[in-house]
Amino acid sequence: MTQHWIDIKNANAILIMGSNAAEHHPISFKWVLKAQDDGATVIHVDPKFSRTSARCDLHVPLRSGTDIAFLGGMMKYIIEKNLFQKYYVENYTNAAFIVGDGFEFKDGMFSGFDPATKKYDQKKWAFAMDDKGLPKKDPTLKDPRCVFQLLKKQYDRYNLDDVSAITGVSKENLLKVYDAYAATGKPDKAGTMMYALGWTQHSVGVQNIRLGAMIQLMLGNIGVAGGGVNALRGEPNVQGSTDHAILWHIMPGYNNVPTTNWPTLEDYMKGNTPKSNDPKSVNWWGNRPKYVVSLLKAWFGDNATAENGFCYGLLPKVDPGVDYASMVLFDKMYKGKVRGGFIYGHNPAQSMPHTHKIRKALTMLDFLVVGEAHETETAAFWRQPGTDPKDVKTEVFLLPSCQRGEKDGTISNSGRWHMWHHKGYEPMGVSKPMGWMVVEIMKRVRDLYAREGGAFPEPIAKLDWYETYDPDLLAKKTNGWFTRDCTVGGKDYKKGDQVPSFPSLTADGSTVSLNWLYCGGYPAAGKNLSKRRDLSQDARAAKLGLFPNFSWCWPVNRRIIYNRASVDMNGKPFNPALPVIAWEGDKWVGDVPDGPAPPMAMEKGVYPFIMHTEGMGQLYGPGRVDGPFPEHYEPAETPVTSHPFSKQLSNPCIKIMDSDMDILAKPGDPKYPIVLTTYSMTEHWCGGGDTRNTPALLEAEPQLYVEMSQELGKEKGIKNGDPVIVESIRGKVEAIAMVTVRMTPLTVKGKTVHLIGMPFCFGWTTPGVGDATNRLTPSVGDPNTTIPEYKACLVDIRKADKVTELAR
Amino acid sequence: MPKAFFIDTSRCTACRGCQVACKEWHEHGVVPTLQRGTHQNPPELTPTNFKIVHFDEHKIDGRIHWLFFPEQCRHCVNPPCKDFGDMYVPGAVIQDEATGAVLYTEKSKELTPEQCKDIKELCPYLVPRRDEKTGMLTKCDMCIDRVQAGMQPACVKTCCTGAMNFGEREEMVALAHKSLEKVKKKHPQASLLDEDSVNVMYLVTQPRDKYFEHASRDIKPLSRQAFLQKIIEPVRRMAG
Amino acid sequence: MKLSRRGFMKWTGAGAAALSLSRLGFDVKPVAAYATTLRIAGAKEVVSICPFCSCGCNIIMFVKDGKFISSEGDPDYPVSEGALCPKGAAFHSMHVSHHRILKPRYRAPGSDKWEEKDWDFVLDRIARKVKDTRDKDFVEKNDKGLTVNRVETLFQLGTSQMDNEECAVSHQMLRSLGVVYLDHQARV
Repeated sequence: MTQHWIDIKNANAILIMGSNAAEHHPISFKWVLKAQDDGATVIHVDPKFSRTSARCDLHVPLRSGTDIAFLGGMMKYIIEKNLFQKYYVENYTNAAFIVGDGFEFKDGMFSGFDPATKKYDQKKWAFAMDDKGLPKKDPTLKDPRCVFQLLKKQYDRYNLDDVSAITGVSKENLLKVYDAYAATGKPDKAGTMMYALGWTQHSVGVQNIRLGAMIQLMLGNIGVAGGGVNALRGEPNVQGSTDHAILWHIMPGYNNVPTTNWPTLEDYMKGNTPKSNDPKSVNWWGNRPKYVVSLLKAWFGDNATAENGFCYGLLPKVDPGVDYASMVLFDKMYKGKVRGGFIYGHNPAQSMPHTHKIRKALTMLDFLVVGEAHETETAAFWRQPGTDPKDVKTEVFLLPSCQRGEKDGTISNSGRWHMWHHKGYEPMGVSKPMGWMVVEIMKRVRDLYAREGGAFPEPIAKLDWYETYDPDLLAKKTNGWFTRDCTVGGKDYKKGDQVPSFPSLTADGSTVSLNWLYCGGYPAAGKNLSKRRDLSQDARAAKLGLFPNFSWCWPVNRRIIYNRASVDMNGKPFNPALPVIAWEGDKWVGDVPDGPAPPMAMEKGVYPFIMHTEGMGQLYGPGRVDGPFPEHYEPAETPVTSHPFSKQLSNPCIKIMDSDMDILAKPGDPKYPIVLTTYSMTEHWCGGGDTRNTPALLEAEPQLYVEMSQELGKEKGIKNGDPVIVESIRGKVEAIAMVTVRMTPLTVKGKTVHLIGMPFCFGWTTPGVGDATNRLTPSVGDPNTTIPEYKACLVDIRKADKVTELAR
Repeated sequence: MPKAFFIDTSRCTACRGCQVACKEWHEHGVVPTLQRGTHQNPPELTPTNFKIVHFDEHKIDGRIHWLFFPEQCRHCVNPPCKDFGDMYVPGAVIQDEATGAVLYTEKSKELTPEQCKDIKELCPYLVPRRDEKTGMLTKCDMCIDRVQAGMQPACVKTCCTGAMNFGEREEMVALAHKSLEKVKKKHPQASLLDEDSVNVMYLVTQPRDKYFEHASRDIKPLSRQAFLQKIIEPVRRMAG
Repeated sequence: MKLSRRGFMKWTGAGAAALSLSRLGFDVKPVAAYATTLRIAGAKEVVSICPFCSCGCNIIMFVKDGKFISSEGDPDYPVSEGALCPKGAAFHSMHVSHHRILKPRYRAPGSDKWEEKDWDFVLDRIARKVKDTRDKDFVEKNDKGLTVNRVETLFQLGTSQMDNEECAVSHQMLRSLGVVYLDHQARV
């Protein structure tokens, strides 16, 4: 989130799209309804009328996978009707930048595409630079090659007729949403976007979100109270686990993974530390060397020295352009190229797409370690339906994991609040925190290497490892400390002192920090700010619901990021009634500003978007692999054979796995005419391992269902409560029909398209509840993230004569 | 001072936090359930489910209405279950002086299954359930232990959106009327259900017939004479 | 005696009429005082956090004599103000679930059952598997001759259930081993 949960109450319009917030983030509705009480219009754009829709002012069903068409139409509307916040767009975005000659867009394709690799040469999309090395600009926004004009041209094609035809949304409904939301383009109005996996789980997932963010920039809704682009986030600590990067492509603190392009630390720094010749651009990532060196010092301790590149050479290097995402991992596993590994608190046998393939892949392993509180479908894959344990050669370890209340530590909520949770009692049985398992296993691996030697033992031997798993020590180390007596920024520090905040981190080895973002959260011994429970705040903060003294949030306790964009160039709030920050006299008051520099118009003033090299919000974003502007493409499996915006049917860069099991229905396949969306539900959590084994929750939602319209029920002879079989080209699933007025058939390009929806939390280890819905979904993903396209695939449905998976 | 609930269904998201919090506080076991084509589960109140969220859906003039109703005992101001309980086993049903909570005591074990059935069927909201295992008559107890300790009932405490409210009856009545006035702007057909005769007042957004059968009392008016006639009838029968 | 439900419903017909019972002069039995004890009285309160969606609702655990007996939303958490959805409300039940694994389990190749083992057995065995696999498959240079120092046959998936501190040690361990297949739910 750019904001935090409570800030939702400050919005004048709320667009919930790609999220079913009331069901999946129930507490968020406390603040949505508060906003509504104060007059906000709450809009839900979603295929299904859900518990969220029930409380919204407007629910608009759209065909799953057409968000860009829907939002593209909104962008056109905003530009055409002149509803954008001109001052903001001119001064705080890259609207005026001139795009270089290499950029072209023709019939759905951007310039620079190589069909052999399915990749664009992104250099073609660079800005035209002046002789100082800065992007050329046309402040009048009239140059046909300026971002604003290209943007206008890009979305001019998204007219109401075509958008309506492809999304299945009536023109009347489109206008209702566009009107209500675009009304927040005024300086003293704010609109917020709440999204979740309904935007990310598409082969155009990243571009869905980008277009949302671009609309927010056009309307001046980033940085202000009640605005922002808010990823509600679908997992308990997914904010923190992403910040700490249990991900192949980054290291903690959003630092790129080393690749063979950067064999030395010097190469890495050169390749990852942007430079700006513009004195008004803060260019925050210019600080990267301090963060990376402090991280390496945290990992390798005294062994990391300036002379040895702080042990950077010991880190693995990935091949540039190669994808190591989980979907790719399972593809390799299925092909027998993976031997073993760890799966902690994750149930891919339920929750990854195409679980027939995932379940088969697991049987190819030599060993598997599962850290869990329950025996899940993943832990028990060797005795899953259709598998004879005798045939499975895998050694399996199931490690009993603590539940949250049995351990100390921190998590970060979606609003980046870093919060300590306390151990309440001794863990049940001999269960242990996963962190303990990690520390203990690595201790033993280190012992083995110390005794026996082995392949490239240096990184293991040189690791600054731990005697025991100590969350307090790790929280301290995450913040970071000084490794020697030194002076930073004119202040003297002693060896062992905690680093007060990340501006004091250094690139010379005098500081360690496991994650620069969290530096400042534990700024002195005994001062763990994640434990703060202080509700006090001044009147200004109280009006916003900021709670600056409760817990701590990254970065530097800034509760609303990009907040320099909430004021004009002189530091005066766009909305004087709800100021996030304001320049008063000679200082900032309010939230922690994005850097202490004075307002932009002043001599030492800086641009608002400090994380971008050019300091501006990116209406044009050359950093995404599938284009600088979001463009509508159909899902990998689509009920249509063409769309009105170009001849390019699907995302040209789409990730598709290529094993023999990875088959796709063809566009408009008459055998699979129905669009399936999968989702979570209020009562169960993700793969369901925890919640199916919590009796009250299973009582409330006992079995797999499929939500479908009455029209489809009639067409297929299916009545409410009937057992049915849902089938895709990859498999079939038994479920109970929930035939409901809440699902609406849509008219797409003149034809009726039916949409159905199913939760994915039910699995065979809980008897009689049904089994993995993901047996239906395809292994295809977004080209930027490889997040699977769970939200739209093709199926058919029929009444079942008998069901076995749901037998009780 | 009598206590009361005010339940504003226009704010309910049917998250069922209340349904589960109630079970958790009372350390209730579960009943086996099946998916029957609705989210509503268990289908009705049980001896281990004092609170059930009802889901009713309608499409009226092309508009979808999904109506949520967290059902529980209404803690009637003059509880008929108590009047009749007293006739069978005095002390089986009591009304707590301080809170107005209607409570089923250990003595309710002395009620026969038939008597329990009578009491249930005489309840205008069809709420009481006999626990076959313990023989007790059961229903929402207003979390009397919590309330006496100055805490809110578990369902109210857990409510995410402020649909559930609890406090002094006077305050709740005032809140109910104030909320109704506001909700009517968006839902002109909104009304309060039986607010004068119950201590669990519901605000609903649609006409009563759009909700499950026992959401409110039968609203057919009675003549004064018929009313008096009915009221002495059971007493006379018992004497006979 | 048998009373019909319909009859009774009419009897209690209009709310206003029911209220007027006492005014009509009927003998309304005096109400009783009811006494209870609070089962969480005297319990230690410990603040934890709901392990589900990222609203991060703080939860108070009630612990008596070292036993976790109940939990509910923490009214001091400004986001939830003490509220909890059903998953959060079931925090206590989830912790004490009958289904939890309480001891390490091992399943030998080809076996059709789990065996319960102690921690030393499983940790030693896992370390051995990791080392042997790494030693066998470690790649110092890729096919272009560039230094890569990695092992492509080991992986870790998960988890957003980990605390920040657990994520940090986990990442540190994996990079030092040379693991490149490292991913979790942020990508699903």
